[in-house]
Amino acid sequence: MPEPLRERVEQLGRDLEMLVNLWRGRRPPPFRTRVASGAGRGGVAAGPGPSPGDEPGAGPRAGALATRALEIVALTRETDDAVTLTLADPDGGELRFVPGQFFTVLVDVGGETLRRAYSLSSSALERERASVTIKRVSGGRASNHLNDHAAVGQRLLVLGPSGAFTVAPSPAARRVLVLIAGGSGITPIAAIVRTVLAVETSSKIALIYGNRGAADIIFRAQLDALAREHEGRLELRHVLSDPPAGWAGGVGLLDRETCLHELARLETRPGFDPETLDDAEYFVCGPEPMMEAVRDALREFGVPRARVHEERFSQPHLRGQGARARARAPRPQGVQVRRAGLPVAGFEVAPEQTLLEAGLTAGLPLSYSCAMGGCGACKVRLVEGEVEMEEPNCLTDEERARGEVLACVCRPLAGLVIDIGPRRAPGLGGAARGGR
Amino acid sequence: MLGTRWDADRLVNLLPGRVRVQVDEFFEALALLAELRDPRLLYALGPAGVRGMLLKRGKQGAPTRIRASHKAHFNWEYPADQPEMAELYARAKQGQWRAEDLPWSTDVDPLNPEVPLIPSSFLGPDVLREHGVRLSAAEELKFRHSVTAWMLSQFLHGEQGALFAAAQVTEAVQFFDGKLYGATQVMDEGRHVEVFSRYLDEKLGRLYQINDNLYVLIDSLMTDSRWDMKFLGMQIMIEGLALGAFGTLYRQTREPLLKQLLRMVIQDEARHVHYGVVALRDHIRDELSARERAEREDWAYEVALLMRNRFMAYEIHEEWFPAMPRARWRRLVGAIPGMNEFRQVMFSRLVPNLREIGLLTPRVLPRYERAGLTRFFGGASANQMTAESMLEGLDRQTIEDAA
Ligand SMILES: Cc1cc2nc3c(=O)[nH]c(=O)nc-3n(C[C@H](O)[C@H](O)[C@H](O)COP(=O)(O)OP(=O)(O)OC[C@H]3O[C@@H](n4cnc5c(N)ncnc54)[C@H](O)[C@@H]3O)c2cc1C
Ligand code: FES
Ligand SMILES: [Fe+2]
Ligand SMILES: [Fe+2]
Repeated sequence: MPEPLRERVEQLGRDLEMLVNLWRGRRPPPFRTRVASGAGRGGVAAGPGPSPGDEPGAGPRAGALATRALEIVALTRETDDAVTLTLADPDGGELRFVPGQFFTVLVDVGGETLRRAYSLSSSALERERASVTIKRVSGGRASNHLNDHAAVGQRLLVLGPSGAFTVAPSPAARRVLVLIAGGSGITPIAAIVRTVLAVETSSKIALIYGNRGAADIIFRAQLDALAREHEGRLELRHVLSDPPAGWAGGVGLLDRETCLHELARLETRPGFDPETLDDAEYFVCGPEPMMEAVRDALREFGVPRARVHEERFSQPHLRGQGARARARAPRPQGVQVRRAGLPVAGFEVAPEQTLLEAGLTAGLPLSYSCAMGGCGACKVRLVEGEVEMEEPNCLTDEERARGEVLACVCRPLAGLVIDIGPRRAPGLGGAARGGR
Repeated sequence: MLGTRWDADRLVNLLPGRVRVQVDEFFEALALLAELRDPRLLYALGPAGVRGMLLKRGKQGAPTRIRASHKAHFNWEYPADQPEMAELYARAKQGQWRAEDLPWSTDVDPLNPEVPLIPSSFLGPDVLREHGVRLSAAEELKFRHSVTAWMLSQFLHGEQGALFAAAQVTEAVQFFDGKLYGATQVMDEGRHVEVFSRYLDEKLGRLYQINDNLYVLIDSLMTDSRWDMKFLGMQIMIEGLALGAFGTLYRQTREPLLKQLLRMVIQDEARHVHYGVVALRDHIRDELSARERAEREDWAYEVALLMRNRFMAYEIHEEWFPAMPRARWRRLVGAIPGMNEFRQVMFSRLVPNLREIGLLTPRVLPRYERAGLTRFFGGASANQMTAESMLEGLDRQTIEDAA
């Protein structure tokens, strides 16, 4: 259909729908609940962080980072090796995030502070509390520590929310989301499902969720209840590689073949015909091998790369490279700072500090959000000098080629000149949005 | 007209509830169209009326596309052609401000009775009770939260209209100094969208849908191809409405961030109305035929009444009292003290401006008299007032009320 005609037909359709609905007594809702539309707007540390010690509960090891102390107000054991911690601000402040974002949690284990990303899994509409769900990784320090020792009443220091694996819920949106999760990868996906179903009354969601056995499925009862409550809008499909007898759902490891099979099946479900799926956005989160397999499957299924959004869990965290950098640069290093080419300040980085920590301590208005190399908010350009950066991190090849580094995970090996770019408006930019 | 309304009310009351709302709504739309006796007015507002009130285009949950048909007026000579506008341009550049500089860190608790968004007297507890509305103290606070969020949501929707209208008017106006000035107004309106949206987002957590009558006004202005009608509608009528509403809320709110925000916005809006007066005054006096002028006189009068009579906050009615007959709700809204103040402030700004641009001719004066608007005739128009004097007036009134 030519574009103007199509527009008219669509408008006519909406007009008729409105008239029919009104006549049946179904009136448009008087208002919509609003979710803060970006981390920057949600009052997240972007730009100048408070000086050290300002924040209630910020321990000495949090350094200059503007962490926030949250209290564990409920603890739910989801499966044998996953636990959900419900967090609230002890001062009653709101917790705002865009579904799909994560908190960086500072976990003290054996005298060391580990920074780990945990996706928020609860609905973004609920502002008094927010939940993270942590699954044990074999030999993992933070994940096992939290599973074994977290308790109601304890406080956790967090940073963020950060991350660009997000769906900004909008009441006006009418879209189709296909969400594919494996294991603990359900966490950001669950927040998206919960929030979008509540806010976008015209959107539809298909969720394909892979696990080993039935006992490994996180949020099973809650997801099943949502699927019943929103029948026709949430198409939920569990896929198990080790199914119990009489299992009615999908079977197999979420590899390329199983994934293609599930996508083909989805096309036969009411409301998800191929034409509808043509406009769908895909969100994928799970273990690395699954992510690769799904990426292949989606390519084969004909989904353009731009419509596929991925979140990797096996991303950067401190893996001892800090120690290596320390060994190589035992003395403090000087840093000259430029803003859009003009010199503005200078400071020193002590051997145990990151560029970000030292810059904030010196009072520079540096942007950051996750402080673990996962969001890109702290990007600066290295004009001169050499740094050691923890890998892997979220920098793209183009960014590397432009000489950009992540201040939160890099340590100078020599004197540096960096450019922190033009001033960013703290209100609108949304530190976390600048990410991948 | 009164007769029709009353008969319709009686008829409507005989119907079962669900259908009743629908039929009442339908009669209301009919009454609006019937009020526009003049065929030219019907032509100007009718189609927008159908799109807004019957089809509820603003509430369909999808972006609305409205075709504009004005002409962009280019001038390759860049003349300095209107000193008053040049001065406004200079002042507008001086008056720019950053949304970030407002005290956003203010902790706003909509349900805190100590720092109310609007005081209890805005709604008038007695008025509520007289109309059969009984609310507990906690419910009343929630109700006030709803009313404030509703007002601010309508401001926000209006600002979106103002943003696009300012851009269109900047294209269409023939004065080059007006175009330069217009660019600053576009910037201002963008900032207004930013601050209202952020306030709703961060502090009140909800956004009401656009009121059907506001939609009708915006739609009809967007589609009208005559630049002076856009001007009249946007710069004089809607800006006048906005100033009335902002002024009322500015005076009434006890929430410091909102007060500060409104103060900044009012300063911009005062310039906008001033510009409208300057641009239209000479045009209406020198360029229009008697017939064209008469059409604008009628239009302005009808729109003024529309704005007075029809912002009935039905969105709140549906949220809070869906079972209450709409006729009773209308009477309730008509009696709310804050809404009355809003009408006062609005007309005290609007009527002098209409006088100044030459639309209060002896031909239409009797109608204004009949509508009880005579006492505003002598007031100061926007070009005789500064934003400071306007704000001072509001502040003074607040102090007098407190005394
Ligand atoms: C953006 C983002 C969001 C995340 N959201 C969640 C979440 O919601 N829930 C959750 O449980 N986890 C989540 N993670 C993973 C989490 O941040 C930690 O990586 C994980 O808990 C392991 O930390 P650890 O300290 O226990 O393991 P470590 O002690 O750091 O590592 C122990 C061993 O496990 C390996 N390993 C580390 N991480 C993983 C992994 N994710 N998968 C497989 N092997 C790994 C290491 O290479 C090492 O060999 C997220 C990660 C990112 C980057
Ligand atoms: S702050 Fe997120 S990558 Fe550095
Ligand atoms: Fe405005
Ligand atoms: Fe304006």
